[in-house]
Formats: sequence, C-alpha cells, structure tokens
Amino acid sequence: MEQWMHQIEQWVRQQPVEQLYAAFAVLVVTIAFFAILRLLKPAKSNTIVLAGLSGSGKTVLFYQLRDGSPHQGTVTSMEPNEGTFMLHSEMEKKGKLKPIHLVDVPGHSRLRPKLDEFLPHAAGLIFVVDALDFLPNCRAAAEYLYDILTKASIVKRKVAILILCNKTDKVTAHSKEFIRKQLEKEIDKLRTSRNALSTADIANEYTLGVPGEAFSFSQCRNKVTIADASGLTGEVSQVEQFIREHVKP
Amino acid sequence: MLEQLLIFTRGGLILWTCGNALKGSPIDALIRSCLLEERSAETFFSYDAPAGGAAYNLKWAFHNDLGLVFVAVYQRILHLLYVDDLLAAVRREFSQIYDPKRTAYDEFDEIFRQLQKEAEARAEEMRKSKQSNRAPLMAGKKQGAGAGQRAGSQGNAKQKGGKGSSGKDDGDGELGKGRGLSNGQENGTKEHSRAPSVVVKGKENGAPVSGAFDVNKLQKLRPKGGKKTDTGTGKASKAEPKKIVKKNRVWDDSPSDSKLDFTDPADEKGDEVVDFGKADHGESMMDKEEIVNSESESEEDEEVESTKPGTKKKGWFSSMFQSIAGNAVLDKADLKPALKALKDRLMTKNVAEEIAEKLCESVAASLEGKKLGSFTRVSSTVQTAMEEALLRILTPKRSIDILRDVHAAKEQGKPYVVVFVGVNGVGKSTNLAKVAYWLLQHDISVMMAACDTFRSGAVEQLRTHARRLQIPIFEKGYEKDPAIVAREAILEASRNNSDVVLVDTAGRMQDNEPLMRALSKLINLNNPDLVLFVGEALVGNDAVDQLSKFNQKLADLSTVPNARLIDGILLTKFDTIDDKVGAALSMVYISGAPVMFVGCGQSYTDLKKLNVKSIVKTLLK
Repeated sequence: MEQWMHQIEQWVRQQPVEQLYAAFAVLVVTIAFFAILRLLKPAKSNTIVLAGLSGSGKTVLFYQLRDGSPHQGTVTSMEPNEGTFMLHSEMEKKGKLKPIHLVDVPGHSRLRPKLDEFLPHAAGLIFVVDALDFLPNCRAAAEYLYDILTKASIVKRKVAILILCNKTDKVTAHSKEFIRKQLEKEIDKLRTSRNALSTADIANEYTLGVPGEAFSFSQCRNKVTIADASGLTGEVSQVEQFIREHVKP
Repeated sequence: MLEQLLIFTRGGLILWTCGNALKGSPIDALIRSCLLEERSAETFFSYDAPAGGAAYNLKWAFHNDLGLVFVAVYQRILHLLYVDDLLAAVRREFSQIYDPKRTAYDEFDEIFRQLQKEAEARAEEMRKSKQSNRAPLMAGKKQGAGAGQRAGSQGNAKQKGGKGSSGKDDGDGELGKGRGLSNGQENGTKEHSRAPSVVVKGKENGAPVSGAFDVNKLQKLRPKGGKKTDTGTGKASKAEPKKIVKKNRVWDDSPSDSKLDFTDPADEKGDEVVDFGKADHGESMMDKEEIVNSESESEEDEEVESTKPGTKKKGWFSSMFQSIAGNAVLDKADLKPALKALKDRLMTKNVAEEIAEKLCESVAASLEGKKLGSFTRVSSTVQTAMEEALLRILTPKRSIDILRDVHAAKEQGKPYVVVFVGVNGVGKSTNLAKVAYWLLQHDISVMMAACDTFRSGAVEQLRTHARRLQIPIFEKGYEKDPAIVAREAILEASRNNSDVVLVDTAGRMQDNEPLMRALSKLINLNNPDLVLFVGEALVGNDAVDQLSKFNQKLADLSTVPNARLIDGILLTKFDTIDDKVGAALSMVYISGAPVMFVGCGQSYTDLKKLNVKSIVKTLLK
C-alpha cells in the first residue's frame, strides 16, 4: 500500500507543472458545473396557495394547518401569510416528509393583485368558499373563481384546484353538491357575458368549457375537485389529503 | 372605559385581546374602509353597529417593523383622552416581548392593566391641570380649549394644543395653525362602504362650543377654488344664432370627412323626417386592448436627492453605510424630505392638494419604524410604498363588469337603470351617448331618458343622438319634474323590453341646495342600479369638494337608512390632459367609487377603461 502511494507521488512530481494546473482547473470546473446544475434544476414546487373571498376563513385554515388551532381568532388580512412547515397532524408521523410552503393570500378585492405573485410557483390552489353565507356572495365567488380558472399561469401548468366549502360545522351551511351546482351555473353565465366582450378582454386569457354546453368543472383542463372542511373545529382531513397528493415527499 | 383593545398581525391573526365582546364587526370595518383605503393617517374611525347596536370609536397604532396593528375600541359617548397615550405605551411594551413564533401572550394582561392605570392617572392629572389653566385663558381662547376638549379623541394635549380647533379653517389664523385635522376638514361625511352603515365622522363637533360664531357658516364662506362661476342655477349661455358658417377645425393631420352638422333640415317637432343610417363607427375603444408600455422607469431619484442640500443630520457616509448594511430604522425625519418631494410630484400631476397630503401621511404611517432593507435608499422605499398604495386605491373594490350586471337585471325582468350626475359642462350627455353606443355593440337594447328639463337644447341634443343610434328616447319636454319623467321612462322601458335605461340629468353645482334636493329625490324615487358621477379630468382641487358634497347631499336627503351614493365615476375629457392624470386619483380616493369609464374624445368610439398600472406609472414619473 505505502509503496503504491510512494510511486504515485513520484509520478505526480514528474509531471510538468502546467499540466498539473490544467488538470486541477478542469477538475474544479467540472465540480462547479455539477453544483450549479444541481442548484438550478427546478425543484418540484411545494407551494400551495389559499385563495378565496374575504371572510371565507383562509387565515383560520392556515393556522389550523400549521398549529392545529386558530388561536384567538382572526381579522381581515392586510398582507399574505406565508410559511413553510410540516402539517400539524403530521408532526407525530415519523419519516421524511417534505415541508409544504403554504401561502394565504388576502381576499379583499383591493389586494387581488397579490395573488399573481404566488401563482407561478403554485403546485396546487385551494379556493375557499364560505358555505354558511354562500348565496349572497355566490356571484362574487364565481367571478373570482372564473378569473383564477382563466389565468395563464394556472391553465398552462395544469395546477390542481380544490374548491373547499368551509364552515361546515355550522348547521345552516350548504352542502358541497349544492355549492358546486351554483358555482357551475354562475360561471356558465359569466362565460356568456365575458365571451361577448370579443377578443379584447385582456383580463381573461383563456376561455372555459365547451361552447354550447352548460359549464361543468369536469370540462376544465385542470383537475378541479370539491371538498368540505371546518377551519374552526379542525376538520381539515380532506384538505390535508389534497395537499399531500400534490406536494410529493 | 375601553371596550376592547386588540393586537393583531398584518396577516390577520389576533395575538392578544382584552375587554368585552363587541357588537357587529368594527375591526373588519376599520380595516376595509380605512386602513386598506390609505386613510391610516386619520385620527380615529367611527363605527355604528347595524340594527341599532352600539356606536364605537376606534383608534389605532402601527408597528411597521414587526407588522403589528394595535386597535382600541371605546364607546363614542365617552371621550377618553388617554387612548393615544395608552396605544403608544402598549406598542412599546408589546414590541419588547413579541416573538414571531409565539401566538399567545397571556403575560401581557398584567402589563396591560398596569399601563392602563398609568394612562388613566396621567389623563386625570392633565385634565386637572387644564382646568386650572383654563380660568385665566377663558377670555380669548374660549374656542380653542373648549373645542380641544370637545374633540374627545385627542389624547396628548401637549402635542395637540394647536390642533384643538377642529372644524376651523386653516385660514383662521387667530387660533394658530390647527393643521387641517382630518376630522375637522372632512366635513363631508364620506360614506363609501355600504355595509354596515359606516361613517367616517368629520363633524363630530357639530354645534360649536361657545357659539361665538357658527362654524358651518365659516365653512360656506370659505372661498372655493375652481368652478364657482355661477352658483345660481347653472344657466348655460344661450346658443347664438349661427350667422357665420364655421370651418371644421382640424385637430390632427387627418381631417375628418364626415359632416358635423346633424341638425334636422326640416321641422322642429322632432319627427323623423330624414332617415339617418345607423351610426356605425367601428369598435368602441372599450373593447380595444390597451398596449401598455412596460419599460422600466429610470431612476429619477437622483434629482430628488441632489436638490435637498444639507438635510442629513447623520452625515453622508454613515447614512450610506447604513443603507448598505440595511439596519437603519426609518423615522419621521428621514421620511419627510422624500415624502415632500413625492407630494410635490403628485401635485404637479394635478392631484388635489388635500388628497396628496393625506396619501403622504398614510404612507408615512405605514413606513415609520420599519427597517430599511439592505442596499435601498429611503427615497426608493418611499416610492415603492407609494406605488403600492396608489395601486391599491385605484384597484376597484367591486366588480365593474357592467355587462354582467345588465344580464343579471335582464334575467330578473327589469331594466337596468343608470343615472348620470355631475356639475355643469362636464360632458354627461356626450358620454351618455358613448355608453349607449358601446352597449349597442354588445347587443343590448338601450333607451335614453331626457331628464334634463332645464337647459335649453338638452332634449334636442339627446334626440339627435337617439336618432343617430336608432334607439328610443323618452322625453317630456322642458319644465317638468325630472323625477317623474325618470319614473315614467323606466315604466316605458319595462313595457317595451329595453335592457338598459340611461337617464340624463341637468348639471348642477354641488352647493346649490334646491337642485341637490331635486337630484336626491330623483334617485330615491327611482332607485337606479348605477349612479354614475361624471367628472372631468381637468378639474383640480374642486374634485374633492364636488364628490364629497354630492355624496353628502345624497346621504343626508335620503329617506331610507341605506342611502344610495355614487357607485361609479366616469372620467371625461381625458384626451385634453397629457399626463396630468391626478384628477382620477382624487376622485377615487375621496369617494371610494371605481372609475368605470374614461371618455377621451367626442366621437362615439372614444370610451375606454381605466388602465390602473399606466395611471400609477404616469403619476409617479
């Protein structure tokens, strides 16, 4: 063994200096190249965006997923809430799970442009709907959902969407089937009025659905599913399922 | 006694609260109508819980560095003097124990109770000292001290001695420079959000304390800038008989070849003698895509920096070092020069002075105490903050998709009624015709209602437009009650299945009491779907006065509790201003209503949507 090392040493000493330098430089460059490649490789995104009208319960849901309880309550958000963490219910589980990056975007209409900052990185979007106070806000919710479904960053990347009916712990909350049907009807109406605005409505880049047929969520290019939850009491299992599906460990 | 004190993050999580449960949702109302509307520099906020609940006043403080908001709620009938003091103390103490990871701060209860006792004790002392001082000063300063106490929301008397004169003008030099307090100056109660009835109370001190002179009268006597040429009845000058044939004026290089004289050759009764071909001028600009020039702006802050010699106390090198290291904490002195430059810039773009001032204060309130990021200068931070604020204000609060609303009304089987209101000569009738043309292009049947029964030629003007567009017009001639004419027009529209009714009203000055009452009657009687305020882009500081007075009159003279206010703004004569687009900002800020249309010319196709980003860029260039 030692003799072998000694022989290598002697051989190395015998090489001209320039060659040694060249070899060394090539080695460094190759290592650097691989390092950069590793860094720049787009990692599979782990961002989930929570969107919805103001008052639908996004911030409560955010803290429920993160800490397991909504603490002392929430008020209308003025800024997005972001966090990268393991879901609270999965804290006990052993095993290597990727932390999710959850973003809660304010629902107030003046803060809508903030949503566009997070969408390009989203792996999934949860659209939270207030199941309790649904009918008065049905039109506004449908408009917001329509705007989201026709954004280029959503359609092109085939981002999965979960329509979450929140506040189902209350007795008078509507069922998710009812909400789905109402939203489909409203979006259908929106489709006709928006399409009537000819080619230049710059807000909507894609059209939804099949012309001539009533709109249904199964016609969307993205996968749209619908689920129930209750942010206050902690019934968020369906949400967590969706999140885990789309943020692969 | 304080009803409640809340501490919450800007993201919405409540960190600590103390006190009784509140009726209604005052905090949400505060955030929606005040803090998000860039009015955070005001001193307090009034909230009336719906269905006859309690009436609260709210005061707030920010900690911009940590992103916390502190709100104190108390009953309006109590004038607590120590609230500002208490909020500042709470902010100081809480920021010491704050930790972004923690969400429960139970130990703060004790600290808070102590702070509250101290604040109350201080307030008691101050009141006693004020009472003993008041006796000798009674003679000359009755107004000042009395009003100062009355404006119960003022905490620290030492800072606010001069400000005590709420409701008085800046011009009233005798009582010192009471900087136009927002709660004094905003005598027009701004009602910009409808649910639940929320009033940012300007005139808390309605009746003056000592009755030496009537504050209201002073307000009226205050000279107004701008359009007060004819306060009487807004008579337009009579059209002179045309003796000389006028030559067409050529605006740009391509002369228009269509003839401009559309008067009916034969008779005056308005029967259709000549059959005009339906006017088709191509696609209305509403539907055209606007190509936004998205090149990045050059850094013009260099100029700003160089024009302010010697305002730095810290020395150039250390401030440079700090801006690189990124640890400088912004305080008022740092922000003042940058904000002043910004305010001047805004005012050169024709933003009303009051609005520019309030905006700058609101931005200052949101930046104070924040840590500068590394490699950023104060001016660029201020610029970004102002840009965000402007973007927020100009983004519409509710959907401005009129076509959707029209379809919704169509389903319900009733016509969609739009009323155009505004002062004289802003372009209501012209833009009404443009809107009609746009709606016609989307296959919606329109009917016009000529409720301008005062100005000579108004009905004929609309009749001509109606004939060119080939739509029905409902008119009853002159000297009739416009409210009745409107009502009958709507009935007629539902009978002949028109989808939209566009109601033209006479122009009126905002101070003209009988005319404003007539307008209010028209709106209340007919309950239109959209009240569109037509304002011209050339208006300067008067925009503030016009809109606030219109809203105030509509609110005061309405018979129902939820008064109809201005729902949207139509900005006209936009082609006459090059880049002085500030009127749009003033109008939107003061009324909270979105700009739905922009008129940029006198032909039918000259109607556009407001491009928020380009306006913000132009304002800050």
